[in-house]
Amino acid sequence: MTVAVAAPIAAFRGVRFGYPRHGREPLEVLRGIDLELRAGELLALLGPNGSGKTTLLRLLSGALRPEAGAVEVASRPVGEWPRLALARQVAVLPQHLELPEGFRVAELVAMGRAPHARRLFGSTAEDERAVERALQDADALDLADRYPHELSGGERQRVLVAMALAQEPRLLLLDEPTLHLDLAHQVALLQRLRQLHAQRKLTVLAVLHDLNLAAAFAPRVVLLDDGRVAADGPPGEVLTPETIQRVFGVATEPVVTQDGRRHLALAVD
Amino acid sequence: MRTAVAAGEARPLRIGLSITRSVAVLGGTALMLAVILVLGVGLGSTQVSVGDTAAILAHRLLALPTPQTWPATAETIIFDIRLPRVLTAMLVGGGLAMAGTVFQALLRNPLADPYVIGTAAGASLGAALGIVAPLLVPALAIGAGSELLGLGVVQLLAFAGGLGTVLLVYAVARSAGRVQVITLLLTGYAVSSVLAAMVALLMFMSGRALGAIFGWLMGSLANASWSALGFATPLLLVSFVLLLARWRRINLLLLGDAQAASLGVDVEREKLVLTMLATLATSAAVAVSGTIGFVGLVVPHLLRLLIGPDHRLLLPASLLTGAGLLVLADLGARLVPGGGIPVGVVTALVGAPFFLWLLRRSRLTRVDLGA
Amino acid sequence: MGSRLRVLFLFLVLAALVAACAAPGASVAPSAPPPSPSLAASPGAPAETTYPVTLTDDAGRSVTIDHAPQRIVSLAPSNTEIICALGACGHLVGVPDYRVGYPRDVLRAIKNVPAVVSYGPVDREAIVAAEPDLILAAGNELTSSDDIKALADLGYPVLALYPESLDEVSADIELVGTALNAGSEAAAITADMARRVAAVEDAVTGSDRPRTFYEVSIFEGTIYTAGKDSFLASLVDTAGGDPILGDARTTAISLEDLVSADPQVIVLGDAAYDESITARAVAKRQGWDGMTAVQEGRVVPLPEDILITRPGPRIVDGLEALARAIHPEAFE
Repeated sequence: MTVAVAAPIAAFRGVRFGYPRHGREPLEVLRGIDLELRAGELLALLGPNGSGKTTLLRLLSGALRPEAGAVEVASRPVGEWPRLALARQVAVLPQHLELPEGFRVAELVAMGRAPHARRLFGSTAEDERAVERALQDADALDLADRYPHELSGGERQRVLVAMALAQEPRLLLLDEPTLHLDLAHQVALLQRLRQLHAQRKLTVLAVLHDLNLAAAFAPRVVLLDDGRVAADGPPGEVLTPETIQRVFGVATEPVVTQDGRRHLALAVD
Repeated sequence: MRTAVAAGEARPLRIGLSITRSVAVLGGTALMLAVILVLGVGLGSTQVSVGDTAAILAHRLLALPTPQTWPATAETIIFDIRLPRVLTAMLVGGGLAMAGTVFQALLRNPLADPYVIGTAAGASLGAALGIVAPLLVPALAIGAGSELLGLGVVQLLAFAGGLGTVLLVYAVARSAGRVQVITLLLTGYAVSSVLAAMVALLMFMSGRALGAIFGWLMGSLANASWSALGFATPLLLVSFVLLLARWRRINLLLLGDAQAASLGVDVEREKLVLTMLATLATSAAVAVSGTIGFVGLVVPHLLRLLIGPDHRLLLPASLLTGAGLLVLADLGARLVPGGGIPVGVVTALVGAPFFLWLLRRSRLTRVDLGA
Repeated sequence: MGSRLRVLFLFLVLAALVAACAAPGASVAPSAPPPSPSLAASPGAPAETTYPVTLTDDAGRSVTIDHAPQRIVSLAPSNTEIICALGACGHLVGVPDYRVGYPRDVLRAIKNVPAVVSYGPVDREAIVAAEPDLILAAGNELTSSDDIKALADLGYPVLALYPESLDEVSADIELVGTALNAGSEAAAITADMARRVAAVEDAVTGSDRPRTFYEVSIFEGTIYTAGKDSFLASLVDTAGGDPILGDARTTAISLEDLVSADPQVIVLGDAAYDESITARAVAKRQGWDGMTAVQEGRVVPLPEDILITRPGPRIVDGLEALARAIHPEAFE
């Protein structure tokens, strides 16, 4: 199987977007983005606050429409997808999600099956298999009978991953999934995502903050700066002290670990 | 500590409602409603024997050729006065509870009731206009007794006022094709305030009709009739069926607009459809009964605590429970000597302390109220 | 919820007020002619009613009565008094729940008659159970139009009565007389009423017509009096006073308007049910002490306001009481 000839699962072509403001010019966030995401890729999206990372995800999930240019999923503009069909292609793990109280975790994860619903009131055996597999893959099977208020931060994040997996998407979008997790849970979550990527042939696009974590996690990183793609490629090429200085305005120096891996360390005076 | 799922040790994974539980909940509430209906038809300010009551119902409802052994007055009391009143209470209670359930989920606000975005204020203004206009402009009195679709002018104006006000509130709250929940609530509050002031003005000017407007605002089932039932029943049934069919989307909206959208829900369209269906049920109920409070607020909370937040079960259960509770409250209202008291007084008088008890209990069990 | 409870509270206060209005202390002996013992018309009186008879009530509704009514439901105290004055007390099978302010014999007669209405809507079940063949309702929403319609739809003849002048009270007594085949009794009562009204008019003719303020009630600072074109205003006028009028609809008058109207006589209708309403208390009210009536000591409490607020045969008693309050000199 050759990855090179596979059609992109998602593509941004000259995309511009601004948030409307009352009585003023729209707040320009994306100023011409060209980006292709091939099926089965694992991509980390990096950039300073306000560089347009979340906006990019929201355009891809259909929550926003581009001002100019085209956003495509499986070669079809996002706006032309029927909502349910798009929801079977793209799943989102948002930055904040208030889990409604009173539902068990298994029921919440089953909500991820909504785009696949066949029956008016019941669920199919296929739904049940998908939910169980999602709970298993997200390492959340033991949480199935818990209620949201009985979950720790790490457990909550596993439940959200399970909800997204139950959706059985081809493309999984994650918006800072490690935000409220301690280091151990951050690493565990990203390892799990890599496993899923491998097992399920899932395309993963994750907005991340930690550059080193991103470098360890993703074979390809995209660096956004002021609504444009500043750099795109393997972490070793993108995450250079020069680029970091240019985009983040922060001085770093490369550190090589004993096993030969490169890291960036903050150069604090 | 994690439980390893050993091969062969099949642990049943419950992803939704169990059939047994659904049957138990719906069967239980339906049974409760049936018992209350029997009480409601069997009891009243005037005593009619059980045998006569059963025979009259068999004769009139089932067209059984039972020999007519009962007094004619008993038949009038049971069939023309009590039965339509009990059925109206059932319909109105069920409709309000169901609409309250939908609004609490839609607005993600535990204080939401069926009236919160303007239905009550609009319907009240419509009714007050219908009551006062013939007194202020005698020429209008000629049309006052006429009926349309089985409804009098007051009822029709109440229905139109409720529906129209929510449409207005929705249109005002809409901005750039989107309606935000908080804007909708605040707009509803503001518009309601204006309309309530207009009702107060009409009451001030109403003179002799003051009592009629008060009675309407308190809510009463004293004017129940077969023709009004004929108007409200299809509207309530249609909105119930369409709302129940949307249970999955209502559940998804509890995850928030963004997540519901990424799960394939057309959020803006869904909000509009749900608002209008719930408002249709509310307006139909209010048109035949006035603004009866508390049923639409308390019943959804009660059931969410008892059976959980899944709307697949919550919607039918709230319909049945609201129906039963209002028939019961109206029975209490009817049995007060001297023509009874407005049922709204009973629902508030009994409902409020019950609600407080519920609140205290829920804090202990840590199950959050609201959606 | 707060506003709903406030509405409820206000409603209860108003209901209490209405109850109070309908509940003065002592009862008075009837001054109408003693009721005749039967419904049979005396010879020489207006023609006997032939049934079925079709009558037009005060709401303009056409009502057909098939036979001489034997079971009558009254939905207003004034109706009860009219029925009893016509000698048909024994035919009452349903009455309003407030059983105060009646002549003693009426009170005795209705003691065991079931109540079918209190404040608010009527008890339809109780009315049906009473098996009436005539229902006398009050008009103008005192009996709600919904109730009147519902009862008529159930097939009962319902006469709605709301007289708004002395002549209309007489006309209503005669209407009920026809309905009950008691035309001659009715004629006797109305003839006596006409005679006494004429006597009052005679007594006050030629005297000054003092500007008269009739206080119906004061509620939360709002003063209620006789509205323009109201029955009460016409009573004050007939009693020889120049009524100070309130708004036609709300019957309210502002204190400023009242002060500038400067009443020469103040009649306190609300003194009947509120002991704190006295001439002395009125003199102490802010802004009232300058009124001519207060300065000249012509503030008169009316102990029997029911005679004025209940438009039955005893309305003339009320007129006479009013005339004595306004023109004490004419009745010395």
